Amino acid sequence: MRQPDLISDYLDRLTRALSFDTPLARRVRQEVEDHLSEAVAAEPEEDPGAAQLRAIRNFGDPRAIASEYAAQSLFWQTRRVGIVAVVVAAGILVTMNARGAWYGWTQWGGSAELAALRRIGLTIDLYAYAIALAIGLVGWAYIGTRRRAASFDAPYRDQVKRCLLLCAVAALPLIATVATDSVLTALRLFESELRLMALVPIVTMAGEIAFAALLVAQLRKAMQRTALASSLFCG
Amino acid sequence: MLKGHLDMIVLAALSSGPAHGYAIIQEIHRRTGGTFELPEGTVYPALHRLEQAGLLGSEWTTGEAGRRRRVYSLTTRGIRNLADQTAVWQRFRDAIGGLLGERGDATARPHL
Repeated sequence: MRQPDLISDYLDRLTRALSFDTPLARRVRQEVEDHLSEAVAAEPEEDPGAAQLRAIRNFGDPRAIASEYAAQSLFWQTRRVGIVAVVVAAGILVTMNARGAWYGWTQWGGSAELAALRRIGLTIDLYAYAIALAIGLVGWAYIGTRRRAASFDAPYRDQVKRCLLLCAVAALPLIATVATDSVLTALRLFESELRLMALVPIVTMAGEIAFAALLVAQLRKAMQRTALASSLFCG
Repeated sequence: MLKGHLDMIVLAALSSGPAHGYAIIQEIHRRTGGTFELPEGTVYPALHRLEQAGLLGSEWTTGEAGRRRRVYSLTTRGIRNLADQTAVWQRFRDAIGGLLGERGDATARPHL
């Protein structure tokens, strides 16, 4: 009779428990497979089924191991989102100022209607950016002072969710800033002839949109991983 | 208690040179005379954590059986961290040793 492949079953369970982070699951599976195979090979005279069972028992519960990885993975993921938020905020500020400086240098004034809209847009920009900065600083302080838990449990899940919520709330006014800038830039480009000097507003605007998209993508990824890990370990 | 010192135990096991997960666990067993009965699987998240903290480096290699395995080694920061933890542990050990010795004396000559 064919021996059941206990190691494959164990690895499948471990991989499922790590499904919140696919690259990590792949890496851990390879490492653990090597470990268990070596543990079985260490006792060549033992019955293969008994050797597999011993190796698995000594290794421990796959859910408990995966839970330790989840705490680490989401800790770093949350920090990464915080760092991306800071980089994005700085990047948007630089591109915004670069575009403004370009308009001044080229004396690209625009029509009276555009000037009125621009004043409204600048007010929105200023307040939205100040709000994003204030929430971002609170979020940064909160994330920076959190300790990593040994395993992913309900209190740690709530902590990660609060960190991500602060990042998301800080991201909203930043996105509003980018949307306002996009409208103003588009209006300016529509009312003037497209010349070579239009390249700077187009490139800086594309940069702003790319920064905002990067933040949204990082937030989305972190939220999906947190939700998946929560369903696996706190459900 | 053991869990709290797992990082130091893993760093110490790697002080003799680079090794993969299974060899690290065997080294811990050998150097402690099998005193610590920790689930072997808990060593891997610790290795990952130490690597993320920059105390360990790692690379994939191919073992004798043709399987891919991850080999870990101490980084400069890891060596320094192990030295710091060793110094703290030795101070703690000396302090407890002294305390236990003094307790014996105190029992023999109680304060009046």
